[in-house]
Amino acid sequence: MNMERNQSLWGDAWQRLKKNRIAMACLSLVVLFTVLAVYGEVLYRYHDIKDTTPAYQNTDLDMAFKAPSSKHWMGTDGLGRDVMARLVQGVSIAYKVGIITSLIAIPIGVFFGCIAGYFGGKVDDFVVWLYSTFASMPGLLFILAIAMVVGKGLLGIYLGIGLTTWVGICRLMRGEVIKHKGQTYVLAAQALGLSSGRIIFRHILPNVMHVIIVTFTLRFPAAVGTEVFLSFLGIGVQDQPSWGLMINSARMRLWQGIWWEMTFVTLAVFLLVLAFNLLGDALRDALDPRLND
Amino acid sequence: MLKYILKRILQMLPTVVGVILLTFVLFNVVGGDLAAIAMGKKVSLQSMESFDEQRGLNKPLFFGTRAKSRAYEDQDFSEGAGRWRTWSNAVYSAESAAVMLQPKSAFSPIAFKLNPDNDFEWTISFRGAGTLAGRELASKDWKTEKIRFQGMEDGGFSTEKDTLEIRRLKLRRVVKNPFDSQLLYYVKQLMRGDLGTSESLHQPVSKLLADGILPSLSLTIPIFFIGVVVSISLSLVCAFFRDTFIDRFLVMFSVALMSINYLVYIVAGQYILAYKHGMFPVWGYESARYLALPVLIGVVSGLGSNIRFYRTVMLDEMYKDYVRTAFAKGVSKPRVLFVHVLKNAMIPIITNVVIAIPFLYTGSLLLESFFGIPGLGYLGINAILSSDIDVVRALVLIGALLFVVSNLLTDICYAVADPRVKLK
Repeated sequence: MNMERNQSLWGDAWQRLKKNRIAMACLSLVVLFTVLAVYGEVLYRYHDIKDTTPAYQNTDLDMAFKAPSSKHWMGTDGLGRDVMARLVQGVSIAYKVGIITSLIAIPIGVFFGCIAGYFGGKVDDFVVWLYSTFASMPGLLFILAIAMVVGKGLLGIYLGIGLTTWVGICRLMRGEVIKHKGQTYVLAAQALGLSSGRIIFRHILPNVMHVIIVTFTLRFPAAVGTEVFLSFLGIGVQDQPSWGLMINSARMRLWQGIWWEMTFVTLAVFLLVLAFNLLGDALRDALDPRLND
Repeated sequence: MLKYILKRILQMLPTVVGVILLTFVLFNVVGGDLAAIAMGKKVSLQSMESFDEQRGLNKPLFFGTRAKSRAYEDQDFSEGAGRWRTWSNAVYSAESAAVMLQPKSAFSPIAFKLNPDNDFEWTISFRGAGTLAGRELASKDWKTEKIRFQGMEDGGFSTEKDTLEIRRLKLRRVVKNPFDSQLLYYVKQLMRGDLGTSESLHQPVSKLLADGILPSLSLTIPIFFIGVVVSISLSLVCAFFRDTFIDRFLVMFSVALMSINYLVYIVAGQYILAYKHGMFPVWGYESARYLALPVLIGVVSGLGSNIRFYRTVMLDEMYKDYVRTAFAKGVSKPRVLFVHVLKNAMIPIITNVVIAIPFLYTGSLLLESFFGIPGLGYLGINAILSSDIDVVRALVLIGALLFVVSNLLTDICYAVADPRVKLK
């Protein structure tokens, strides 16, 4: 019975999502970005193993600052590198940041949120204390401080964003679990003598899965935006073509009328973030029955 | 009421402790070698030691009777000779993972003059015969000994006719009071109101903060108030035209505004409005005119999420019974919205507004550094880039404490506005 209900929930949500044209457009955009990210990552790994210079790192000073043409659709940068190839590589970095920070933040948030909501009492007090402490930290500055302490590079970014953004999902999960705790299926599972861990992670968690999915979709663009910001400051990615680094180098050239690198990179960031934001909103509307009038 | 306020203050204390602990853990425990982060690895050991001394970093972390000293860094001889390679009297043998001191030699592995007021302790695993810190060592088989000496004594080696083989060597400073730790030092420092000294600017951090607060506030307060007024007005427009083209357009517009990266607002604003069209000065902090563009950018960049938030608040209220009653008895739509709904939506609005106050103080990191406004954001970015630990830590800590305090203020405002809150 549980399975049937589950399927109909997801099926329902999909039907509702399909009707929303904007959401479907965003979904295809997200799929396109995902394909580009996988392509970029494969290209990077391939050249890394073969120890060759990938096309997006090829410099050609004769070709520096060329406007978009049939050969370089998005022009070239100051070292004659193809902007489009670097842009695609930037997608894979953005995805890595979005996914890895989620893999850090979501398990922490879900775990603490679940145990706080389910056990209550002292455990709850501890978790509430922990997240109020983290929530008090001044966001961006705290991320910067973590990145500074850990050292320049992607690791600092992963930890900085991952360790600061679990609070939101922890709060949400705690609230959801408290709501579910009193429901009959949980009481039945308790009456059957199942262990707390099993009840939380096998029975309650699947029923609050939609919260996790929506949170993932909405925090993904935020993480990407923060990475762009950190790399722009020179704290993040060092030698790979990250969007933040590209914006930083394009910014100097903008004053000389080199508009293409800036335009295309900001457009890419905008489209990625917009697609995820709109998709997240649509998913929430489709998955959260409370919002259906 | 007083009882409620006292209760809330008491509940606030654990968070304050948590914030202090968290900054301590981040910088002292996770950070590890702060001197290396702040000054790089190319400075002398002695200046690193004085950096540590000044900040209490040469003490044990939480509790302990022994502390490391930079005068001699622990080396694992099974991985190589390390710094011993440079000392001509010592011969390294990878086979026995040990160094051998030649007969009739004398030298000291201690890098600089030790603090004469402290006691130190060598822990040595050795074979052969020789003298260390004035104490005779002699043993045929491998043996470990602890040798205690005072900082003013010579702590070096000397050998007579025999060789001395060393497998392990550790130098520790003896801590007189085991509770005299980094944590205690940090807490005491905060109690005194001392936020440390900036390594790169050579000024007390509290002075830097005091200098930066005004420029920051002159930027963030206008952004804040203009932002609140504009976004509440637009959200009321949304609620008024609910489910029409105007509402949907505003929602899409705010999502689009949210999706534009903050950097883009700044770069584009500075380039197009200030440089191309010359409507504003490009850079500097001289008169109010210089603030106009950063304020405009700040307002626009925050508009998207604010409109969405306030719109949700307004629409939540729209479904309440009192609104239906008001409509039923024939009150006009504008009057319901601007008088009834707005008044009742005040509580979530106040929360959102008060919670944003601590962020006013850090200013806007990027706006300030792009437009050359010498505020705390500018200070913060520079401190991050030059790894100025004390400044970063003070900014993080004060930001967090302000947040905790404004949380408290919000709750008290709540209780004043709505007496039911106290009962929860």
